Amino acid sequence: MQLVLGLTSGMQLRQIHDLVNIAGKMNIRKVWVGDDITGAHEIFTLVSTIMLKHKNIVAGIGVTSPLIRNITTIARASATLAQIGGDNHFRLGLGIGGLQDLRKLGMTARNPACALRSASTLLREIWKSEKVTFEADDFKLNHYRSSVNVDRPISIFFGVRGPRLLNLAGEIADGIVLSGPTTYLRKAITLVRSSIERSRRSVEDFTFVIWVPTMLVRQRSDLGLVKKIVAYVLSDTPKSVLEMAQLDLGKVEMVKKAGERHGIAYAARLVDKALLHESAVQGDATQVCESLKGFERMGVQEVVFGPPYGSKPRVALTEVANAWRDYA
Amino acid sequence: MKFGLGVNVNETTTEVVEKCVEAERLGIDYVWVSDVPVQLYAPAVVAAIAENTRKIRIGLGLISAYLHTPRHIAQSLVTLVETYGERFELCIGPGDRDLLRRVGVSLKHPEGVQHYFKDVKHQIKTMLKEKGIDCRLWLGAQGPKMLEAAANFDGVWLNYAHPDHVKWALETVKMHCKRSLQFGVYAPSYVYSDFDSEIGRLLEINSAVVALGASDAVLRRLNLYDLVKEGKHRLREGATMKSVINCVPSKATELFSISRPSDKLKGYLAQLSATGVQHVVFSYPQNYSLKTVRELALALKRQH
Repeated sequence: MQLVLGLTSGMQLRQIHDLVNIAGKMNIRKVWVGDDITGAHEIFTLVSTIMLKHKNIVAGIGVTSPLIRNITTIARASATLAQIGGDNHFRLGLGIGGLQDLRKLGMTARNPACALRSASTLLREIWKSEKVTFEADDFKLNHYRSSVNVDRPISIFFGVRGPRLLNLAGEIADGIVLSGPTTYLRKAITLVRSSIERSRRSVEDFTFVIWVPTMLVRQRSDLGLVKKIVAYVLSDTPKSVLEMAQLDLGKVEMVKKAGERHGIAYAARLVDKALLHESAVQGDATQVCESLKGFERMGVQEVVFGPPYGSKPRVALTEVANAWRDYA
Repeated sequence: MKFGLGVNVNETTTEVVEKCVEAERLGIDYVWVSDVPVQLYAPAVVAAIAENTRKIRIGLGLISAYLHTPRHIAQSLVTLVETYGERFELCIGPGDRDLLRRVGVSLKHPEGVQHYFKDVKHQIKTMLKEKGIDCRLWLGAQGPKMLEAAANFDGVWLNYAHPDHVKWALETVKMHCKRSLQFGVYAPSYVYSDFDSEIGRLLEINSAVVALGASDAVLRRLNLYDLVKEGKHRLREGATMKSVINCVPSKATELFSISRPSDKLKGYLAQLSATGVQHVVFSYPQNYSLKTVRELALALKRQH
């Protein structure tokens, strides 16, 4: 199992390149970048600069929504990044998008499973330079054929959570970026593995990635930041996931409502030990690594470190990467 | 006058970068990277060029404001400027009608194109300003409505090349705008010392593509409407661009492109300059090979 670095397009550019640089020095060769829809940077442009500035890094987008860009733009942007990345294969993560993010853009996902199935099929057809005509699920193409040369495979990962979408990931994706409470993750992996087997595909060819909030905690005050992230994540978690996670739904509802009424800082105060333990990886460097290593037993190939990393992200990354090496 | 090379048509990122490095070495003022819905994604190509060059100015555009949201366009610019410094210019416009239809994008906007582009420009400028970025924002325009909309921008790129029509366009813009704007011609080009018929054919095709994408108002003004309408109709019915190219008369090459032996370029540029044009971008197939890039650079040196 590999430790990889997680970033988001909402972070400061200097910090992004600084962390990728440190990761490279610490032998962390893979990076996932989440699309913070309302953040400062355009995800494909940002990832291109990461690939250009850090030649040995394998970069992936984890994840972006096919509902917020034209599908042909996603196809040729990915193809362009695949050309820039060369032998460091570019990986594209697709998800419908966070509930709160879509709301901010005035959008809703009518049928997420159909949209992701169609998006994946269309992308693969476009990458093969096939002539595509299609109209359904928010996509409309009319005798479209891309001229962009795609000579290296682009893997499609799903960033999804509900049971229907987990099944779909096992059926058609090359991998999955999972996030959520630990109990949920265990069940989700089992579900995806069953779907892979039902689809007569090989589990060995499928990549499981776990990306939960991770943070190096040095002192008690650091916990405040982790709790804020957990409160935010729980507010954005669908009911089906919370049920699979067997969390105290009443408690989660209180956190959600507190967030809506008084803001995340207030909601964070209601995140107790049980919620924190289930929803985030935190502790000193050894504890973080031990928690992350626990996912290996579930058949996971990649675990993501960050954000929020710690009160000093570069120090946190260095310490965790060192502990990971020692642990290995 | 400032001169640029148009890139990102039928090339890989490696080839684009190689030609832009050469353009910088040869003293061309800037490169412009168009974003066409069937070609490489321009913002990422711009990043690759910026990573491999030091000072040449790089234009992102024309990028369709119907295909991309103002937020995504502004976010791309922010990423580029914060990574590589203030070396960038931006040109937005509607984009190629046929290709937009093929990717399911509607060009109809109830509030009218003038208002639509004014609003897009405002959104992009506001987002850039929030990040402390001041970037020249161009509009790619052709017909009367877009030329009117250009009055709100820092500059306007015209994609026809005949001096008479350029003069008309500039006068139209000036009727709606009292401040001083930058004017440029961004056209399919082939400036050569030894004519290569294969590249000449590519120029004809690219000029025909521009003609087929032109608005009815522009085609009527250029007396091309009746000659081109059959091709436009067939495109709407789903025919491929290749199969309708022959419907476009060769006159389109003359009106929509710059095709000159290098020793005749000077006179043409003087004519453009007399109309008020300050910028010229030589686009596909001028970027066909390193040789054609060098031929252009040499012709421009002679011009100086």
